[in-house]
Amino acid sequence: MSGFGGVLPWARRTIVEQEKWLSSEEFSSMLGICQIVPGPNIVNLAVCVGSRFCGIPGAIAGVFGILTGPVTLVLILAMLYEHFSYLPIVQGMLRGISAVGVGLIASTGFKMMRTELNYPPMLIVVIFILLAACYFHLGLGWVVLLASPLALYFAWRKVNKT
Amino acid sequence: MSVLISLFLKISAFSLVAFGGVNALLPVLYDLSVNQEHWISPQTFADYFAIAQAAPGPNLMTVTLIGWNVGGVLGAALATLAIAWPSSIMIYFLQGYIFAIQNKQRQKMIQYAAGALAVGLVLAAAWQISLQVNQSLAAYILTIVTITITFFTRWHPLYLVAAGAACGLLGLI
Repeated sequence: MSGFGGVLPWARRTIVEQEKWLSSEEFSSMLGICQIVPGPNIVNLAVCVGSRFCGIPGAIAGVFGILTGPVTLVLILAMLYEHFSYLPIVQGMLRGISAVGVGLIASTGFKMMRTELNYPPMLIVVIFILLAACYFHLGLGWVVLLASPLALYFAWRKVNKT
Repeated sequence: MSVLISLFLKISAFSLVAFGGVNALLPVLYDLSVNQEHWISPQTFADYFAIAQAAPGPNLMTVTLIGWNVGGVLGAALATLAIAWPSSIMIYFLQGYIFAIQNKQRQKMIQYAAGALAVGLVLAAAWQISLQVNQSLAAYILTIVTITITFFTRWHPLYLVAAGAACGLLGLI
């Protein structure tokens, strides 16, 4: 709920440091898996942590636990938006936030790219995806479908090289 | 009612291709909700994106807000569930399998491949979304400044969001 700018640091503090549900290593490897599979990362994490303790009910409880608070709050914001979106001040504020938000997403991407720089051929996959999505405007499903074999091929080369 | 079912099914379909999380999905969400279904206007999408960025919580809130616009509280709940359930079920069954892979090399290979996909998709999403939400040169400059700041400092993103809001308040963007 108090996850400004992403919930992950907060989730780590609660799960590892306060409640001691998982060790730091367990949390990291779980997070690693949750970030590579598709879907909302934090929801994936909630499923992993929840199911670890109570199986399916735990997973469901985890997902609802992580979503209920933020969803309620964002709906309150949405209602405020309905009433005040005509104000130029509000419009300006939202434009500023969007511009920063886009920047934050891009910088997440660049930070993730640092690990790819260890093995530069992997950047071919990144460039391929950028071209397919931004230049040829292929749908996301197609992009993933076409890029996956390429990504697996270079991943295989990378593993065998190191 | 049928619009809610369509919302639920279409968003569910995205869940399993969202390598890199919901951020990677934003351009497709835009295409679906603005161009194809005409649920919301380009401006509303940009505003929802901003609200989702400013609000605490996971970054899937843009989806929640689109659902809210389509069908109120029920629509919001359905949209949120739709983006979460397919991948949740997949990770539930996949986690045991991935942890059980004894072959370290194969584990690494999957990790590298998925990582590269995520990087590409997130960067592509940032590019496409910037073309939709940034309407002025000043907005692009603010985006580039944000990227630069995150490269050289460890400031909390909330400060940057607040700074962006302040720039907007002053009428700069």
